[in-house]
Formats: sequence, structure tokens, C-alpha cells
Amino acid sequence: MAEESGGERNRTNAFVVSARKRTMQKLAKTAGEGMLFAVAAFVAVIVLFIFYFVARDAIPFFQIRGFSEFFTSTNWYPADQPAQFGALAIIYGSLMVTLGSALIAVPMGVAAAICLSDILPFSIRQYAKPVIEMLAAIPSVAFGFFALVVLAPLLQNNGGPLLMWAWWILVSPFLLLGVIVLSDLLTSNIRVQKRREQLHILYLILFGLLSISLLYKVGTALYGIQILTGTNALNVSIILSFMALPTIVSVSEDALQAVGRDIREGSYALGATRAETILKTILPAASSGILAAVILGIMRALGETMVVWMASGNSSHIPEPWFNYLEAIRTLTATIAGDMGEADQVTGSARFHVLFAMGLLLLVISFISNLISERIVVRQRKILSGQ
Amino acid sequence: MNIGTRKILDRSFTAVGIGSIIVMAMALMIVVVPIVTNGIGAVFFTGTIEHRKMLFNEFNRGDSENLSSEAASSNRYRAKVYSMMTGFEAELETMVPEKQAEYKAKYSQVRTSLQALLGPLPGDPEPMLTRSKYGQTRWEKAEEKLHDLLYESKWDNSNPDVMAKEYFVSRAIGFEGTSLVNLFPYVENNLDKILLPEFTCYWGFLTDSSVDSHFFGGIWPEIQGTFFLAIGAMLFAFPLGVVAAVYFTEYAKPGFLNSMLRSANSTLAGVPSIVFGMFGLAFFINTMKVSESKSVIAGALTLAIMILPTIIRSAEEAILAVPKTYREASLSLGSTKWNTIVTVILPAALPGILTGGVISLGRAAGETAPIIFTAAVSVGSAIGLADVFSSPTPALSWNIYNLASEHEAASQIRHVQYGMVLALVSIVLLLNLSAIVLRARVSKKLKG
Repeated sequence: MAEESGGERNRTNAFVVSARKRTMQKLAKTAGEGMLFAVAAFVAVIVLFIFYFVARDAIPFFQIRGFSEFFTSTNWYPADQPAQFGALAIIYGSLMVTLGSALIAVPMGVAAAICLSDILPFSIRQYAKPVIEMLAAIPSVAFGFFALVVLAPLLQNNGGPLLMWAWWILVSPFLLLGVIVLSDLLTSNIRVQKRREQLHILYLILFGLLSISLLYKVGTALYGIQILTGTNALNVSIILSFMALPTIVSVSEDALQAVGRDIREGSYALGATRAETILKTILPAASSGILAAVILGIMRALGETMVVWMASGNSSHIPEPWFNYLEAIRTLTATIAGDMGEADQVTGSARFHVLFAMGLLLLVISFISNLISERIVVRQRKILSGQ
Repeated sequence: MNIGTRKILDRSFTAVGIGSIIVMAMALMIVVVPIVTNGIGAVFFTGTIEHRKMLFNEFNRGDSENLSSEAASSNRYRAKVYSMMTGFEAELETMVPEKQAEYKAKYSQVRTSLQALLGPLPGDPEPMLTRSKYGQTRWEKAEEKLHDLLYESKWDNSNPDVMAKEYFVSRAIGFEGTSLVNLFPYVENNLDKILLPEFTCYWGFLTDSSVDSHFFGGIWPEIQGTFFLAIGAMLFAFPLGVVAAVYFTEYAKPGFLNSMLRSANSTLAGVPSIVFGMFGLAFFINTMKVSESKSVIAGALTLAIMILPTIIRSAEEAILAVPKTYREASLSLGSTKWNTIVTVILPAALPGILTGGVISLGRAAGETAPIIFTAAVSVGSAIGLADVFSSPTPALSWNIYNLASEHEAASQIRHVQYGMVLALVSIVLLLNLSAIVLRARVSKKLKG
């Protein structure tokens, strides 16, 4: 009974609100919203803190040693007396594996994204998506372990034959396609049908023989290669491309989906095939979004630590020649991870601060590329919604 | 271009797309299959009597009567090996000095291989390290060691143009004409009677602590450390992330401030994981002094910062996916905005929010770089819940790196490394699978 009457009183009061109570309610509302805002702003505060605390420990290095040695010298002897802190080879190593993984992951990722958004029926897409998510979920240390324990010995012992098979399997379909398209293009201007067909076959045979000899020549050259160490830039690039793929696929798929149906249908209505529609209308429309995806994927590869630490060989030198992916290299992230334990944190030695300088470099690169990719996505959204 | 070529181009374009998806699926397979097949070997394997002895001595597990009867039958065969050795040692004494020196060197190699295979030999001093107290505990390792005993490995450097090749020379030939020559065929033929291999299912791998830096025993300290770190990170990040998502979806007004906050969020998502580790070291440990040095709490805080953007983003998506009609119905019944959020929107979005949380939990469990400087140690026992504020912990991700790259006998404990990787990968993938299933259910439910 008492409860009921209490409920009665509340209900009547709910409609007759005194001025004081109203201000209280307003105050509570503002305070609550303020608290929510504070939590949301917490993220921004953390970002500022990260910049501040990494920079705080990085700046002393530049004060002690200046800029030029860090960026121009390749002599990395932090433990010697006197110590040398030339990080050029390390920066180069980072760029090298990033580029290598991008070369593998970008074409594959974009092709897979196109396939997911435009080609595959929904029933198959349903199963492909979890595969990508799983690939993204596998911890980096597991990839690193795989690179070190499975892939590195494989490359070291059977490197030449593996490279040859990879070359044959990957390149021969594209060469075949190129031969067909090229001979078609060269003969398409000829009006007389009989002559055209004869020439077409002639070209097919000619280019076919040429490409077969190319395949064979390069294949045997690759077969003869002896890989001295399995922990090298190639190994790391392959694994990093696996890790960058999910990002590239999912972000560029979003970009492709954002291109509306009307553009696609317009292209089909003009008689274009699916490939032509995708290449000539959808890809240009989604190109900025795909660029953003590529930037994000590359950043994933640049910032990755465990794989490169375990499987890159950690040798700080610029390979000979500069594009030799079969040599061991060293990257910024692996240097930070590996040297932090040995660097003296307490006395504030240059050896400790140089690692923070590397961290700052990574942080600035990732910050800038994030801003760029975000701008690109916003701009694309505006353009597409404007149409 | 003629229509045939256009068709071929179209088909091959499709083929390239499907091919790259297949390559991705294969990449997943290529990485996961060796990890699973080898990782299972950490739990299910053919164990020898040495394994059962080790379990009995170190963990007090197993049937002592059974073990002693097994040991007795094993010792009958071992005794013959030992007697052959003492016979040869006596023979050594009678040899001419230069021959004696030559045989002594060879014999000491044989002795070491036998020690590795069977454990300490009679007359050996009590070994210091636990790893040398026992012979080979696993049958496949025992077979490798048997090969070491039977054959001497040599390197062929004769051709300077190609890499040196390894080849093997039978040790028995080196002892031709002495009494030891019989030892090699004897050990080869009777190894199964000496070591008594039988199929073993060692679940203790998941629940035991390690003995002698992972030579024997299990990985419980690492599993526990991983759980502490991941759950600790969730305790900080999940409430913060959900509240921030509520602000972004329900309260934030478009404008400069809001776009700044969103930029900050995506910047945080893009920060390389090693930089989080440096920040954790510089901020939580060196500046805030949350603990003297590395500790679970510092690692959990660092991981929390790392997974925060993911949680915010997925919670936002989940909240936005709640149909507008829910909100309108609640508001039309006279409830306030806050009341609507708490009683209608959040419960409806909860499965979606949880999905993001579960995925982030997996990410926190698998990430290594942020905990290198803040929380991880290579060796150590499982820590109690009270120690999380002061002491570091071993964790699966870090110890995989450590065992594979820095352990002094990394190639001898591959099975432990694979077991650890499998444990970590299955934790992470199970979390992700459950998230996928959860999300499929949610989308079905929201569609009605």
C-alpha cells in the first residue's frame, strides 16, 4: 500500500516541476553530458600524450647528436665507444619491406576487393569475409614464428626452385593474357578478314614463343639462385603482405561499395563487359578510397614489429645491390624492440633516446598518412554524395 | 578489340579476383595448418619412460608401482649398454697411447650422445640442470638423438662455389675392431625396449608450470599472464569505449571539435604497436610510476589504449545499427534521452558492442610489441591476482618470441613453441569465431 501511494506522489510531481528542480535537472544533464564528453575527449588527450612523451624522450637525442648523422649515415654502432647512430640503413630497411609487401598486397588486395564487391555472389561472399577477418586476427607473433620456423628454412634450402615455381605460376597466366590481347590489338585495324585471321595466328605464335622463352630464361636464372639466409627482406615482405591484405581488402571494398549502382548500370547499358565496367568506371570513381586503403595497409606493414624482428635477420646495412630482397635487413620497429632492453634508461644516454627518435619518426609518418587517408575518404564521400 | 578477346579479358579479370581470394584463403591455411598439426604434438605425442619419470619426479604425477616395473624392464636393457661401455673403457686402458687418445676423443662423443638419449649414465655426477637429469622424453626426439649416436655429421666444403653440404658417417666404422662396435646395433635395435614409448596425452601442457625454462612441463604461467593482460585491458577500455561511443553517436554535434575528436580516434588506431610500448614505458612506468618497473597493470593500461579505438568504432556501429523505431517508441512514451539510451538502445546494441569487445580482447591477447617494455618477462612462474600491481608476468605472445629467437636451445624445444603458438592462435581465433557467430545472430535478429 505504501509503495502505491509513493508511486502516486511521484506521478503527480512529475508534471509540476518547481523552478529549482528544473535548474537541478538541467545542471545534472549538463554535468552528465560533460562527463560523456570528457570520456570521448580522453582519446584525444591520449594522442597528445603519446606525441608528448615520445617526443620528450626523442628530442634529447637530436640535441646531443644533431640531425645529419641519424638521417644520412649508415653506421649503426650504438654500443661502441664512441657510439655511432646512423639510421639510414634501418630507415631504408623499413621502407624496403614496406614497399615489398605493398607490391604483393596491393594488387592482390584490390583484386580481391573488386571480386568481393562486384563479382562473387552473396552466398560465397559470406564465407570469404570470415576468412579475411581470421587472417586479420592471427597475432603478429604467430606470423613471425611461421616466418622464422617454417618459411625461412624453406627459402634457405629450396629458395631457387621455389622462386622459379612462383615465377611460372604467377607470371605465365598474365603473359598468356598479354599475348592474346596484344595480337588482337595489333590486328584489329585490318579490314580484310582472312588476312586478319592469318596475321592474328602469326602474332599469337610469335609472341607465344617469345613469352615462353622469357619464362624459361628467367625461370632457370631464378632456379640457380642460392639464398644464403632465409631470414631476409623477401620472407618478411611476404608475411607482411599477408598482414596488410585484410586492411586493404576491407577498406577498398567499402570504397567500391560506396560507388552507387547507377554508375554500374549506366556502364552496362552502354554495352561494356563487367571487366570494362569495373576498370573504366568503378575503379576511377573509387580510386581515392582505394588509395586510402593502400595507405592504411602500408602503415600496417611499416608499423609491424614482431615479424620483422623475428624474420628479417636484423642486420643493419643497405643490401647490395639496393633492390636485393634476398639479404637480411633491419627495420625501425625491430631496432626499437631489440635495443630498448640494452639501452640505459636511467642516465638518459643517447642510445636510449635514439630509439625514441625512431619511434617519433614512425609516429609522425603514421600520423601524416592517417590524416591523408582520412581526408581522401571524406572527400570521396562528398563527391559521391554530391553526384 | 574483337568480342572474343573482350570476353577472354572479362573472364580472366574474374579469375584474377577469385584467384586472389583463393590465395588469401591459402595464406591462412599455409600459416595455420603447420601451427595446428605441430602444435597438437605438444599435447599428444609418443612419450618415453623418461617423460613418465619426469612427470613423477617434478609434478608427482603417475603410478609409482607401474613406473618402477617399467623402469626395471628398461634397466635390464640399459644394463647391457652400460656393461658394453665399461668393457670398452677397460679396453681403452690396454691400448697403445696414440690409439688410446684417438679412441678417447671418439668415445667421449659417443658418451655425450648416449647421455642425451638415455639420461645420466652410471658414474656421472648429479646434473645441475633439470634438462640433463632425463633422457629424451619424446620418441621422435629420441629417434633424432639415436641418429646422432649412430652417425657423425660432417660438412663437405670441397666445392667452394656451392654451399657446404652435410653428410653422415657411421660411428660404428670408427670403432671397428673394438668391443664397442656392438653397442651401435644394440641400441638401434633395442631403443624401444630401453625407452618404452607409448602414446601420451599430456593435458598438463596447458596447466603445468614450466620446468627448466620450458624444457619440460607446460605453459600455464603464459596462458594465465595472457588472460590477465587481455582482461585487464578490457576492464579499462571497454567501459571507456562504450561511453565514448554513446557520446559520439547520441550527443556529439557536428563541428570542428567533433571532427578533431574523430581524427584523434583514427590517429590512435593507426599508431604502430611498438610506439604504444614506448609510450607505456615513458608514461605509465617512468612518469606515472604505476609500478616500480614492468608490471601487469602497466601492460594492461598500454593494451587498453591500443584497443580503445577499435572498441569505440565497433560500439558506434552497433549503436547506429539499432533501428530508429526503437528510439522513437521509447521517446514517445515520455522517457528522457538518457533513459532511452540506457534502457532501450544499449540493450539492443549490446550484442554488437560485445562483438567488438570480443575481437578487441583477442587483439589484446595476441599483441606483443606493447607489452615488451611494460609487462612481459621471459621466465617466471604464474603470478597471483594480488601481484598484478607490482610484478611482470610471462605471456604467450612474448614467450613465443623469446623461446623461438632468444632461447639458448630454441631448436630443441620446437614442440613447446608450436604448442604455445597453437594455444595463442586458438584463443584468438575462438574469440573471433564467437564474434562472427554473434554478429550473424544479431544481424538476423535486427532484420527480424
